[in-house]
Amino acid sequence: MSAPRGRLFRLCQKELRETLRDRRTIITLIMMPLLVYPILSMTLNRFLLNASLGNDPRFIIGFDNDEEGQWLKDILTSPGSQPPAAIRKAVDENLAEFSYVGPSNGKTLDQILEEKLIDVIVRVKLDPPQSVRIISQGDEPNGLNAKRILSERLTYFNQSLVAEALSTSKVPALPQIDIQVEQIGGVQKTTLLASIIPLVLVLMTITGAVYPAIDLTAGERERGTMEALMASPVPRGSVLFAKYIAVVTVALLTAIANFGSMFVTLWTGGLLELLVGKDQPFPWLQFLQIFGLLVLFSGFFSAVLLALTSFARSFKEAQAYLIPLMLVSLTPGILSLMPGVQLTGALAVVPLLNIILLSREILSGAATALPTIVAIFSTICYAAAALLLAARLFGSDAVLRGSEVSFAAALKRPEEPAPVPSLSAAATTLAMLFPTYYLVSNALAMISEWSIGVRLIINAVALILVFGGLPLFATWYSRNQPRTTYRVSWPRGTALFAGLLLGLGLWTWAHELFVFGEWLGFQSLDTSKIEQINELMIEFRKIPPWLIIATLAVTPGIVEELFFRGYLFSALRNHLSASKTILISALLFGIFHVLTGKSLLLERFLPTTMLGLVLGWIAWRTASVWPGIVLHVTHNGFLELVACYRDELEKWGIGVAEQTHLPWLWIAGGSLLITSGFAIIHWGSRIGCEFINRRQ
Amino acid sequence: MLEVVALSKWFTVPHGRIHAVDRISLSVQPGEVYGLMGPNGAGKTTTLRMILGLLVPDDGYAEVDGFRTTVDPEKVKSKLGFVSSNDGVYPWLTVREMLLFFADLYAVEPELAKQRLEQLAQLMGIAELLDRRAGALSTGQRQRVTLVRGLIHDPPAMLLDEPTRGLDIVGTQTIFRYIGHLRDLGKAVIVCTHRLDEAERLCDRFGLLHRGHLHYEGSLAALREQTGRERLAEIFVDLMDTSDAPAIGPQRII
Repeated sequence: MSAPRGRLFRLCQKELRETLRDRRTIITLIMMPLLVYPILSMTLNRFLLNASLGNDPRFIIGFDNDEEGQWLKDILTSPGSQPPAAIRKAVDENLAEFSYVGPSNGKTLDQILEEKLIDVIVRVKLDPPQSVRIISQGDEPNGLNAKRILSERLTYFNQSLVAEALSTSKVPALPQIDIQVEQIGGVQKTTLLASIIPLVLVLMTITGAVYPAIDLTAGERERGTMEALMASPVPRGSVLFAKYIAVVTVALLTAIANFGSMFVTLWTGGLLELLVGKDQPFPWLQFLQIFGLLVLFSGFFSAVLLALTSFARSFKEAQAYLIPLMLVSLTPGILSLMPGVQLTGALAVVPLLNIILLSREILSGAATALPTIVAIFSTICYAAAALLLAARLFGSDAVLRGSEVSFAAALKRPEEPAPVPSLSAAATTLAMLFPTYYLVSNALAMISEWSIGVRLIINAVALILVFGGLPLFATWYSRNQPRTTYRVSWPRGTALFAGLLLGLGLWTWAHELFVFGEWLGFQSLDTSKIEQINELMIEFRKIPPWLIIATLAVTPGIVEELFFRGYLFSALRNHLSASKTILISALLFGIFHVLTGKSLLLERFLPTTMLGLVLGWIAWRTASVWPGIVLHVTHNGFLELVACYRDELEKWGIGVAEQTHLPWLWIAGGSLLITSGFAIIHWGSRIGCEFINRRQ
Repeated sequence: MLEVVALSKWFTVPHGRIHAVDRISLSVQPGEVYGLMGPNGAGKTTTLRMILGLLVPDDGYAEVDGFRTTVDPEKVKSKLGFVSSNDGVYPWLTVREMLLFFADLYAVEPELAKQRLEQLAQLMGIAELLDRRAGALSTGQRQRVTLVRGLIHDPPAMLLDEPTRGLDIVGTQTIFRYIGHLRDLGKAVIVCTHRLDEAERLCDRFGLLHRGHLHYEGSLAALREQTGRERLAEIFVDLMDTSDAPAIGPQRII
């Protein structure tokens, strides 16, 4: 029995009401932002004032020739260019110092500036009317400071000239020195924002989530409400989900309050341009981006915190668990401040670090689709696994007994066998499988020097190890019965035949969906990639067809079906309706096929998800994984053979270009096969013989 | 109404397994109050938690109104009311909000829940407390709120775990009246207690639990006949004296 939607809403409402009335939450939510940021702002103001007034900074100025350098040096050392006495006193006479360099090693000044060996270039026109151009690198804070200080000092110098002229009753020719400032390279607008915000996001969401996470889990036990709650007929998952929503909401509200206060403080203090860049419009888009990132961070942290606090029996114990987590979480936050670390390859699946780097890239406008989707999807997987683990632990035997609670106890291998995997075990497997698969695909994409035949074999072995090995290990570890877990019971012969028909026909629909997807804009292959694929196809036709069938049809057909329509399907079906199980397994099937290797194959999403829906439906109707295997192997094998013998087919007048619609006769033929397959399965198979054992 | 058959639970410890409950069987009919008695650590609470579905039994089963705890845990939970001495409150909710929240957990229609809350609040004398914050209640007031919570969904069976522990004489009297009320309502009730004097006055039948074993079961008259003793306390002392191991302490390790 799952909690009705209305009741789930009221559960969330109660958790939120309870949390938001708690004065400790209010302190975190309101007092912190109200007090901390104005104080921080004052400190920052003081710091910036000191920084702007010198505080012994040293800058390196590049000149085209010594004459220009000497001219500026004379001005900067003259008393007229010095700041007013009050400012000099405020910084204890520590004014900025400058070194002067010219072009060297055959490099131009612009190149040296780009390499950040100098802070600014100054180009002087010595003939009257004199002018100075101060050039800085767009995203270099030192350069910007040097530029600002030089402009100020030259302005003081101009003012001193005016004052001198007035005192001697001369009429000065204004302006004496024309000061121009320029920027080269990137525009300075989000550097500081993009560097600081990820760290701030971590701090704010954790700050907001910690207290409600502890209070709503360990607090239940401490105040003696746990037993009464567990004695009520509401699934533990629903209770925990309501708590999760409450924690996410409070984390979000806290982070929004913090950000609001921070921005208002910076705005009113005139410091906002430090974050968003000078003369930039109000950063509405970045606000929206930050909000999206906040949801991601809050969702992730709330799930992880709940998983940890669900172990605990008291506030103290929960706090002891959370302090190391907070320290560990700050490390990737600090890493994100390092310029060399980027969201690519393995880093896209490292929990927390991936979303921190993603924040930096989104805010600096450098985010690309594949790592973004990989980071978001892997984070959702991690959060789901953490939440399901929390649901398993919360109010469990151990917590209720209050004697043998430990991480080891939660991860202990069960003593009794179970017919199908639990949802938390499946989510954990998925959370491990996804990054492993992504990393392996990435590694395999790099070994391009090997022949295509070898690469195909390695790919197949990797698929068996990852998709086959990890779930198999999970099955063994959880003592799940393989027959019911992988749903390998033998179906009727007609179901296998129907799988064959569908396998032969479905590619036509898949092809049309592929073309439709491209029409919708699901196109990630540019011309160069299509050319690469065409070159690959030429090589592809040189290898024996049996190898192609074995590695691209039989292996994925068996391994993927055993995972998606076996392991995952049985775990989902034990808790969800058939339609939800089919839909979720199909979506995951689609997503896994999009995120492959180093490319984001968006155009594969629609056809693969459609195939996943059909495969899921068959798996449900026949209560077996075998018809799906037949369909999958046939479908892949048929497509691979068509690709392999494309030239021969074209000689016979059968065109199979990827970007065009199929002839209507082909679609009609495919549809006939599909309809026959569906009809056989629908009327020829029974439902209800699959194993369902819904228990808390 | 309430059937327990060969219910067993053991816990794994470093040197073996502890048999916390060892093949206990009992049944309670509507309108009957069953006293499950024993010293601390006898297995009373573990038995109740298995009936409630909070602990999964290692052997045997418990049934409430025909539903097994291991097969239909949520059905069983919906048919049970549970009151324990450890029951706490949500300090930041009002009493009304908290009790209606529990009614909602048991899927009681909102209007019906409000009506029932008013009736029970009058009965247990908490009507004036309904809009007070639960965290601000005294121990006695909390206890009465907890008693109302156990009945808010009008369950056919009630489990009471040491309901008088830590209460003064007024609080204890309230519990007695409450149990009498439950009997009048025709509920099947199991009361766990080690207060034998109270049990004699309250319960229709008794089960004497010691180190996970149900040693005696029956009405007071039947127990007197079996043991030749007049008072429950005497029967109990005999039981503990004849035992090999210390009466209060770790259970048998197998």
